[in-house]
Amino acid sequence: MTVRLATRTTAVLFALLATSQIAAAQTITSEADLTAGFSNQEVEAAAAQIRVFGEIASRVQYFVEVALAAESGPETDAFSGAYPYEPGTRLIEAYGERLMQAGRLVGGVRAGRFRTPFGIYNRGEHSYNGFLRAPLIRYDEYFALSNNYLEHGVAAFFGTSHLLVESSVGAPADVGEARRRSGTDTTLRVQGYGGPLIVGVSYIRTQPYLPSTFATGRAQFTGIDARWMAAGVQLRGEWLHGRPFDGVSTDGGYFDVTVHRREMRQVSVVFRAERLDYETIPAFAMYARRETLGARIKVAANVTMQLDVIHQSSQVAYGYPWALDVGLTYSLRR
Amino acid sequence: MLDFVISALMALTTVATPASGVELRGTAWIGEQRAANVVVWVDAPQAPVLPPPARVVLDQRNLAFSPHVLTVRVGTSVEFPNSDRVFHNVFSWRDGKRFNLGMYPVGAMKRQTFDRPGLSRIFCNIHPNMAAYVMAVDSSYFSVSDAAGAFTLPLLPQGTYTYHAWRPGGATLTGSVTLDSGTAFEIHWS
Repeated sequence: MTVRLATRTTAVLFALLATSQIAAAQTITSEADLTAGFSNQEVEAAAAQIRVFGEIASRVQYFVEVALAAESGPETDAFSGAYPYEPGTRLIEAYGERLMQAGRLVGGVRAGRFRTPFGIYNRGEHSYNGFLRAPLIRYDEYFALSNNYLEHGVAAFFGTSHLLVESSVGAPADVGEARRRSGTDTTLRVQGYGGPLIVGVSYIRTQPYLPSTFATGRAQFTGIDARWMAAGVQLRGEWLHGRPFDGVSTDGGYFDVTVHRREMRQVSVVFRAERLDYETIPAFAMYARRETLGARIKVAANVTMQLDVIHQSSQVAYGYPWALDVGLTYSLRR
Repeated sequence: MLDFVISALMALTTVATPASGVELRGTAWIGEQRAANVVVWVDAPQAPVLPPPARVVLDQRNLAFSPHVLTVRVGTSVEFPNSDRVFHNVFSWRDGKRFNLGMYPVGAMKRQTFDRPGLSRIFCNIHPNMAAYVMAVDSSYFSVSDAAGAFTLPLLPQGTYTYHAWRPGGATLTGSVTLDSGTAFEIHWS
């Protein structure tokens, strides 16, 4: 089934890429990632993402991304980096953006459908970077946030490269298993940058994704994130605290490192340690731990392999305290 | 797919300019198609060194490097602004100049001096589809072909010069060209 779907996906993908050549009036770039993978947790997965982006006019940009996926096997969180893997085709992002720069000041407005701007949220920082699973605090159903959270709304940012403020107002438009109830979302993020260090503080007030029969109130989270990079070594971390609904709380975060030095040639090595503590009545509380050691290997032109060995606590292990995830990605840009 | 045979035809013509020398113009070809992003430069140690441009920029914009191929004289400092909303990480670890500018956000800009001749392949570690080339040459007399394959080198005194031509994915060609009014010659890649 997975193979059949992957074949169909490939056909759609190349048809869309071919079509994108027609609309060449303004700048247009199309990209596709086609991935197949398996985990020893009896999971097979195949997915494709197609992106079309460019400029309508100077500094007026557009971005559209569609994801197709299929997954077979028991419930796990394997292959959930930055996209849903439930079968089907989904519009991920579709927005227009106006960027402005005057001297040291930068600003911009984004409108449409976009990823929830909280913490480390960009697609490129979660997909195909050596990790095949989303961080626990960003996995659909673990009582925190989700990499599949999307907004229908407006986001604006303003500041300098050294101090930037970003805020959004929108309505939930999520994909994946955990979809927030309808309502109004607000986010605020402040980011500082100096030398090799980038630090951000984020806040979100949104709707719970669980049913209103028992998940009352609003979900609220505050988070801090940091990135540091020098000499081919990148350190990142995110920590958040808040409540997915009234009467419970979630704390959690991750720290990861990516090493890609010249002598490693086509190989990047990654490591991540993470935890998630969901406090509620003992029967439903969750204390998850996970460590991931992996590699991203460029095996041929446009082909990348990702290999992750995972050690995980029982509540997220689904019977597999050790897991091996392997993914192969073919990427294309025109 | 990658073992296709590529032949290139580069037709060069020279246009004499009475006061200052000869302007070398040409068109680059790969097979029957005009070739963009072909770098052409000549060794001209006796010719005057031309003043460098005030700014040389390799922008990161719309998830791409712009331009895709940049040619600079050795010793030139290139600016790498991030004009995108997302982070970028510029690095070059293979040939030519080896550096890693780290990760930086929108509005930030970093510089890198290309202090030795050769080709540097530029990438972004966050966006693997981003790639560019910086060719540093020990000459003031260079050009990059446009979308129509056309290029024009700065004015040179009449004489015989060694020329070089390079394109992404292709070998560097080297030969001799004599510049005077009416000079024309062809180069074939095979």
